Amino acid sequence: MSKRVMVVDDSRLVRVQLEDVLAGTDYEIAAFCRSGEDAIAQYDQVKPDLVTMDIIMQGMDGLEAAECILKKHPDARIVVVSSLAYEDTYEKAKAIGAKGFVDKPFHQEQLLKVFEQALF
Amino acid sequence: MNTALAKEELAQILDQAVQDVTERTAGVRLHQKNQSPGEDLCTVEITFDKGFHTSLTLCADTGLLSRMACNSFHEESVSAEDLEEFTKEYFNVLCGKIAGAMYKATQIPAHFSPPVFYHGRYEPEGREIQFMLTYSDEYCEGAQLIHHVPFSDGDEDSLRNQT
Repeated sequence: MSKRVMVVDDSRLVRVQLEDVLAGTDYEIAAFCRSGEDAIAQYDQVKPDLVTMDIIMQGMDGLEAAECILKKHPDARIVVVSSLAYEDTYEKAKAIGAKGFVDKPFHQEQLLKVFEQALF
Repeated sequence: MNTALAKEELAQILDQAVQDVTERTAGVRLHQKNQSPGEDLCTVEITFDKGFHTSLTLCADTGLLSRMACNSFHEESVSAEDLEEFTKEYFNVLCGKIAGAMYKATQIPAHFSPPVFYHGRYEPEGREIQFMLTYSDEYCEGAQLIHHVPFSDGDEDSLRNQT
């Protein structure tokens, strides 16, 4: 059975890239949210196995949104997918309870490895 | 803690990020060349709002950005909306790489605002150009990556942490 992924990113391009990378794998995109606020609102309804979370977005940034989701759903599995790939951001993501970090632009192998680690 | 980044060092960080991200994101190779973009232009801008109080703009030929967007969306043509989507995400990734390299060099975390897209050439208010890098692709379409600093910044040779 496919794992359901909720993609949180303000760019449709990222959705297209993730669809490409996840095609033929055990993951399917269950929802696409274009803001942190949207992700918080949709999480209960979608009940995803995994969330990918961008950081730089209009309104609430991804780390704040991830923190809100994790406060309400401590079992949520959130992987931060961002170009802000440096220690300071890794540490912040880890501190709020994110399960992994994928650097943009991403490769299939790297993404699937982090997804697998986040789920098990 | 090192709080300054020499202009030359910053220019090298910017250039490396442009070459890497443009090829990996859109399959286009850009070369530094002293040839300004044409008249049909788009600009995308970010401001570093934590760590460094400077701006970066990318002003590029619409044709170049459209070709890059087509490659990324795997489509033969793109709508105006998709061109804007692509340009903002491309610049978001580019600036993320730059922020990461700046952090490595200075240990100062740099956060930036979501990219803003403009048709035509746009120059941020209250800022002056510190330097620009000019690029061209194989079809001789061009782009300029421009680093802006606040007018009040008296030191022209370094990018200082103002927090």
